[in-house]
Amino acid sequence: MTPPLSSLRILDLTSGVSGPWCTKLLADYGADVIKVERPGTGDESRGHGPFTGGVPDRERSALFLWLNTSKRSITLDVQTPTGRDLALRLAAQCDAVVVDRSSHELERLRLNHEDFAAVNPSIVTTSVTAFGLTGPYADWRATNLTSYATGGQHYLTGDGDREPIQNGGYHALYQAGTWAFGATLAAVWNARETGVGQRAEVAGQEVMASILEIYMPDFAYRKAETLLTRRGNMATAVVGIYPVIDGHIGIHAMPKNWPQLLDSLDMHWMAEDERFKDNRARLRNNDELMAQLYIWTAGVTKAEAYERGGRYRAPISPVNTMADLLASPHLDARQFCREIEHPAAGAMQYPGSPARMPATPPQVRPAPLLGQHNAEVYDELGLMARDLATLAAAGVI
Amino acid sequence: MPDLSSPTSNLPLTGIRILDLTMVWAGPSGTRLLADMGAEVIKVESARSWDMLRSLHFLSGPPEQWWDKAAYFNHNNRNKYGITLDLQTPRGRELALRLAAMSDVVFENYRADVIGKLGLDYADLRAVKDDIILVSMPSHGKSGPESGNVAYGTNVEQLAGLASLTGYPGMGPHKSPIAYGDPNAGAIAAAAALAALLHRRETGEGQHVEVAQWEAMIGNVGEFVLAWQMALADDPAADIDAWSERQRHGNRHFSRLQGVFACTGEDEWVAVSIGTDAEFSALCEAIGRPELARDARFADVVSRRHHQDELDATIVAWTRGRSQDEAADTLQAAGVAAAPVLKLQRLLYDRNLRARGFWETVSHAAAGEWDMEGPVWRMSRTPAHVRISAPMFGEHNRWVLGELLGLSEAEIAALEAEHVTAREPQAGVHS
Repeated sequence: MTPPLSSLRILDLTSGVSGPWCTKLLADYGADVIKVERPGTGDESRGHGPFTGGVPDRERSALFLWLNTSKRSITLDVQTPTGRDLALRLAAQCDAVVVDRSSHELERLRLNHEDFAAVNPSIVTTSVTAFGLTGPYADWRATNLTSYATGGQHYLTGDGDREPIQNGGYHALYQAGTWAFGATLAAVWNARETGVGQRAEVAGQEVMASILEIYMPDFAYRKAETLLTRRGNMATAVVGIYPVIDGHIGIHAMPKNWPQLLDSLDMHWMAEDERFKDNRARLRNNDELMAQLYIWTAGVTKAEAYERGGRYRAPISPVNTMADLLASPHLDARQFCREIEHPAAGAMQYPGSPARMPATPPQVRPAPLLGQHNAEVYDELGLMARDLATLAAAGVI
Repeated sequence: MPDLSSPTSNLPLTGIRILDLTMVWAGPSGTRLLADMGAEVIKVESARSWDMLRSLHFLSGPPEQWWDKAAYFNHNNRNKYGITLDLQTPRGRELALRLAAMSDVVFENYRADVIGKLGLDYADLRAVKDDIILVSMPSHGKSGPESGNVAYGTNVEQLAGLASLTGYPGMGPHKSPIAYGDPNAGAIAAAAALAALLHRRETGEGQHVEVAQWEAMIGNVGEFVLAWQMALADDPAADIDAWSERQRHGNRHFSRLQGVFACTGEDEWVAVSIGTDAEFSALCEAIGRPELARDARFADVVSRRHHQDELDATIVAWTRGRSQDEAADTLQAAGVAAAPVLKLQRLLYDRNLRARGFWETVSHAAAGEWDMEGPVWRMSRTPAHVRISAPMFGEHNRWVLGELLGLSEAEIAALEAEHVTAREPQAGVHS
C-alpha cells in the first residue's frame, strides 16, 4: 500500500504558509518533495514561535514543524548563478515546481515557467501568491491579513458596531495552499495525459472571493445589499454561537432540522407556538427564539448539548479547544492524530491528513532539519562530497 | 446534446466523467472545481430530493420557475450537467448504477449512513465498475461514536477548533460569516479525487476516499494543536481556556504590528501589517511621523507590540482622512503591506480582479445575465472559463438518459410517468 502520489516528485521553492501547506499535502500523500531553503536561515516559518522548550530554535517552531512534514530539505541559494543552475537540474527531474514569488522576482531570478519548461517540457509550475502574477496588486506586499482583507470575508467577520476581524490563524494563506495543491494535481494529470506541462496559478484573493457562500452570488445577481453586513455571532437565532456552562456551543439548523432541534432542546411546545410555526415566522420572531435558546444553553454543558444534538440528529456542536481535539473520543476512535517523533522537537500529536485514503494511506515523516538531505539529494544529482564542500564554502548551499 | 459550444477538449480534465450526488455547498464546491477544469460532471437530483440552494433565491413572489433562478445554486453548479433521478426507487438506483459504470468518480456528501441505505455504497459501485473512485464527504466521517451526528459548515469550524481561536480581544469565540467548513472540504475532496485518479493511472486501482469535513478543517489550525502541546509541556498546569483567549486577538498578531484602521467613508477600513524595523520606518515616513522610527518606545518588534495601542492611535489619525484605496496605495508605495478591507460591493469591481478578468459574464436561460467568479485554478496552456450555466432542473435528462444510457423515447416517457424523473421539484421539501 503506497501513498497515492508516490510517483510524483516536486521541487518546492516556497516559504511561509501557502506554498509549504500545498507541498506538505503533496508530501504527506506520498510525493517526493525537495524543499529548497535559504542557507543559514531557512524557511521564514522556522523563526515563528512558539517553540518547543520556549526558546527560539529553527528546528522547534510549531508552524514549521506542522507545515513541512514528509519533505526533504536542502539548502540552496537560488539567487546565485550556481544555485539557479542546480535548481534547474533538479527541476529537470520533477513533475512540478512550486513557487510563491511575484512575476518580477521570478523574472529577475530567471525562474519562470519558461525557464523550467526549457529543461523539462512536461513540468508544471505552480504559482501561489496573494494577488496573482498579473494585475495592479501583483507587486504588493502581502500577509495573511491583507489577503483576508481583499477577499471579502474580512469585511463580513465580526460585529456590526465594531471593526471587522480576521479569523484565527492563517486561513487566507491556508486556503491558497489547499487550492494550489488541487491545481497542481489537475495540471500534473494533464501533463501525464499530454506530455506537456504548463503554469498553474492560484491567487489568494481569488480563492477567498470565490468562497463567499451566498453573499457574493446573491449580490452579483440581485445587486441588493441586504445581506452584506457584519452579523456577529448570530446569522439567525438558529445559526450562531451560544455560551453554555463551561464554554460555548454552535447551532446551525436549516429549516428541515427544526423538529430534531426541538427534540434536542426538549421544547416541543414551540412546534405549537404561532411565533415559531414555520421558518418565516421564526425569522420574524428571531429575537424571541434567541431568548428561548439562551435559556436552554445557560443550563447545559458543551458535552450535554453535543450529546443531545447527536442523539436527536440536530446540528449542535461544541466550540472545541485544542485540548478538546486531543481528548475527543470520536477522533481517538478514528485514530485521527498521529504521534510524530522529531529529533530536535521531540514527540507530539499531529493532526491527521484532511482526506482519508485507506487503500493508499499517507506516510508522514517529521519535518526535516535545515539542509538535512543535502548529501542524498545532491548525490542523486551526481555531485561529489567535495563538490558539496565547495558549494558550502561559497555560500551556495 | 448539452450545449457544447465552447469545446472542452483542451481542458486539463477532459475525458473524466463524474457522477455527482452532492447537494448544498461542500460537495458541489468540490465538483465545481473539477467541472471548471473540463471534467464532465453529471449532477443528480429528484423531485423529492433536490438541492436546497435552489430555494435560497431571495426573489419576491416567488417568480415562475424560481428553482432555476437562485444565484447561490447557479454559481456553485456552473459547468455541470443536471438530471433528475429518484434514487429511492429501484429503477432510479439501477440507472444511477449504470451511470456509475460509465464514470471515473462518484461524489456524495450525504449523512454517513444514507449512501448505504440507497444501495449505492462503495461495494455496490465497485460491483459495476471495478476501478471506480468514490468520494464521500460526511461531516464526522463514516466511523467512530459520533458518525451519526449532523453538522453544517459553521458547526465544522466549531468542531475543528477554529472558532475557539477567532474573536475580539477579551471576548468569546467567534464564527466565520460563511459556512466555512463547506468550501474547505470541497477543495480537499477535489484534490483527493485527483490524487486517487493519479494513483489509478499508475496501478489501475480505484478506491473509496473519505473526507470527514471536521477532520479536513483541523489541518488549517494544525500549528495551534502543536502550540498547545508545547504550552502544556512548559507548564503542565496551563489552562486551556486562558490559553485560547490569548489566541483571540482580533486582527493583531503576536510578532507583527497589525490591524485595521478606519478611513473616510462609512465602515471603510484599511488593513496594515508591519513586520521588520525597515517596514516600520517606511510606515512612519509615509504617515508623516518620521521621528517615531527613532522613538525608544517603538525601537523594535517587542516594544512596538507593547505600545501597540499608542501606535494604533497614531496610524488611525492618518488613515481617518483618507480613502481606503488612497491609504493602501500610499503605504504600498512606501513598502508597507496594506490593503483595503473590501466590501462585497467593491470586491465585484476590484481593480485587480477586473484587470485579471476574474469576473465573467454568464448568460442563463431562466435567470438572465450577471457576473460570476471565473475558475480559480488558472492554467496557462489550457485556460478555463464558465462554459455552460448551471443546469435547470432536469435540464439534461434527455441527453443523459437517451444518448449516454441509450434509453428509448418510450422508456424515457415511462420514467417520467412513474415519477423516477421529474421536471419540477416538489415544493416544501426545504421549508
